[in-house]
Amino acid sequence: MAGPIVVTGIGLVTPTGLGREVVWPNLLAGKTGIAPVESFDTEAFNVSLGGEVTGFEPREHLKRLEVEQAGRASQLAIAAAHQALEDAGLGIDALEAERTGVTMGTTSGEPQEVEHFDDHWVADRLSQVGPEFMDRYPCHHIPANIAAELGLAGVNMMIPAACAAGSYAIAKAFDVLQAGRADVMLAGGADSFSRITYTGFARLGAIAPERCQPFDVGRKGMIPGEGAAILILETLERARARGARIYAEVAGYGLSCDAHHMTAAHPEGDGAARAMEQALQQSGVAPEEVSYISAHGTGTPTNDRLETIAVERVFGPRGGGTPISSIKSMLGHTMGAASAIEAAVCSLAVHTGWIPPTINFEQADPQCDLDCVPNEARQLEVDVAMNNAYAFGGTNASVIFRRAAE
Amino acid sequence: MSPAPLSPSQEAPSRRVVVTGSSAITPLGDSPESLHRGLCDGATGLKNLELFPAEGLSCQLVGEIHEFSARHYLTSGNLRPLDRTAQLATVAALRALEEAGFTAELRQQQDVGLVLGTLFGSVHTISAFDRRALEAGPKYAKPLDFANSVINAAAGQTAIWHDLRGVNSTICSGSPSGLQAIAYAADLIQTGRADTLLAGGADELCFESYLGFHRTGRVAGSGSTAASDETPHPVPFAANRNGFALGEGGALFLLETREQALARGATILGEIRGHGNAFDPSRGKDSVLAAGALRRAIEIALEEAAIEGGQLGAISTSANGSIVGDRHEAQGIAAALGPYLQDLPVTAIKGALGESLGTSSAIQAIALLEALTQRHLPGIAGLDEPDPTLPLPRLSREAQPLHQPLGLVTALDAGGHACAVILESGVLESGV
Repeated sequence: MAGPIVVTGIGLVTPTGLGREVVWPNLLAGKTGIAPVESFDTEAFNVSLGGEVTGFEPREHLKRLEVEQAGRASQLAIAAAHQALEDAGLGIDALEAERTGVTMGTTSGEPQEVEHFDDHWVADRLSQVGPEFMDRYPCHHIPANIAAELGLAGVNMMIPAACAAGSYAIAKAFDVLQAGRADVMLAGGADSFSRITYTGFARLGAIAPERCQPFDVGRKGMIPGEGAAILILETLERARARGARIYAEVAGYGLSCDAHHMTAAHPEGDGAARAMEQALQQSGVAPEEVSYISAHGTGTPTNDRLETIAVERVFGPRGGGTPISSIKSMLGHTMGAASAIEAAVCSLAVHTGWIPPTINFEQADPQCDLDCVPNEARQLEVDVAMNNAYAFGGTNASVIFRRAAE
Repeated sequence: MSPAPLSPSQEAPSRRVVVTGSSAITPLGDSPESLHRGLCDGATGLKNLELFPAEGLSCQLVGEIHEFSARHYLTSGNLRPLDRTAQLATVAALRALEEAGFTAELRQQQDVGLVLGTLFGSVHTISAFDRRALEAGPKYAKPLDFANSVINAAAGQTAIWHDLRGVNSTICSGSPSGLQAIAYAADLIQTGRADTLLAGGADELCFESYLGFHRTGRVAGSGSTAASDETPHPVPFAANRNGFALGEGGALFLLETREQALARGATILGEIRGHGNAFDPSRGKDSVLAAGALRRAIEIALEEAAIEGGQLGAISTSANGSIVGDRHEAQGIAAALGPYLQDLPVTAIKGALGESLGTSSAIQAIALLEALTQRHLPGIAGLDEPDPTLPLPRLSREAQPLHQPLGLVTALDAGGHACAVILESGVLESGV
């Protein structure tokens, strides 16, 4: 076996900024990235807020690919990939192309490309659809574009496991490295702001009108967002040999399916609990050893209540007092990027000894009786962090990060 | 009830991954046996499009599953939430579970997971949801369509239908998606993270992808550069090939550990011996890199299977009639297996089925395992005049006998993804 697998680089493109050095302080400061949607007109909706990445100029980030070759999710992901490599102290020349791979997750891939197609259709202009629809839309183009931009020839895969996809991608990269199929993996998630996603959540009545308040008794819903995050994963042995900064070790993971409902979680938290239990078991970690949990915490009345049930099944009443916060209160739900951004949060929590808050928290919900780190970041020695993500299709993922051995 | 996953340090290296169920819903039949028979008889599944109107687009030759009815297989339950991709996946899962004897009762005792390769999920569902909101207003968008607008919708719906509570993953890597899904599942089982997984692919034929691919000029007869009335000739490795025909299907293996299969008295149909995955960062623009990606995938798979190329009995390729793609695949195979190719027959079933996208390479794997079991390799439908410039001396023009239990499945996408899987027929163990 390849030994422990560690996180040595982090790239972040989020509604509160670009880059670890900007985003992490913003998250600890409780800064919100939620603002009125600019990508499209929201007049026909009864809600208008979103978590968009603003001030993103693709030409500043794409060095080899032409901007026209890549959809927005690919562009966000490429920016995160460049950042992550730089953060890891890995120049492209330092990578052996054939031994460096990419696994990515997404919910919708490049939804703006199909929306563009639909605009043509309803305007009776299908004759104007050109090759760019298929050359940009299918979601496997995201990891492919990253690899093309960076010249990477190793394992390459998209795992579109919806809102748990980033965790699925990190789990796969972990296995690829453990099996010795690559030396370095870029793993994460990306999604672009989408009219389709916005319409769907609005139709379900799931979008909060003013702010996202996970675990608060008055919470009114989630807020759709966009973003990208990429982690650089490599073996501890390799990281040490090159003197790399190590954020955290990926200790293990659990994946499961509710097999219950496409959009609603299991009423007893069955699949979510099984994913957490598997992750703990594989990591050789007891529940009481977990210092911090990054919640799925979308802020919808149902999610947060059922997530609490699942956490209590594994960690006991009140989650055993384990702090559990949701950065979706600040970024909104960045879909396929969310669990990858939250993986970066877990790594940084271990590395810095700080955990980000759940903002907009006013009044506790007796049905969500957890320590959600209300409103203020907390200094805390984090030896072990668990990242939970739940998705459409009933798919669940838990990934555990811990302090790497000295 | 979950399988007790072993930590990597405890892992038994000898966990062998075997096939005990196999399904194929295709234009040439709804079982691996009927597909194999059709392919060996030289039948074609390419016919005129009936599923939706597509006036104005040249080349209406497609690998459509005419009169596909999920109700024929799924005799009770509400089919309304399942779009065509989900129906193909759910029916394929039913057939594979049934063949493997993995009953509902057994699934209560033990988690079964699903790894589904697909290119789109359903771009038709996604587009229809969006257009309804554009035309009637967001209030009139259909919540059911929204639930199915995620790319993993077919995997989720299949899990709900069959109560599959294990890992639920969807893989997208272009046409190698289904093969990649089989490789991904084999890894999960081999390393002790899962005991039982369905793995393969599903993709539907729909107007949205049909129009989209026509506009790339890579569909046979769609003529972006040539005259638009050119005769479609979607024949793999043919001298006058001019693109692919679109197809559809659903195909899954039921994979489990050999130990578990023997313990429960299941018939072992075959074994996943090894696999490799690589990428061409030129994305098809550089022939050396494109062929090199497939070469590396094949070499990794051979090494993992601990065999020499000379032990292979046959190769099933993903060639589909693409002018450039077929050449790159031939070059990649030649680069990895050159010395053995004089004695190694090469087939390509997409000539008879069309390009069924994310499911296509899963169908290749399932058809090849059937061929290895039946000891008979199908020919390449319609191949009268092979491209003499390709480095493949033994293209299988007619069905022919097979003598070895080992076969190689290759898939190379125009976008750069490459995958190779080595299968071994379980025929020698069928008495167990």
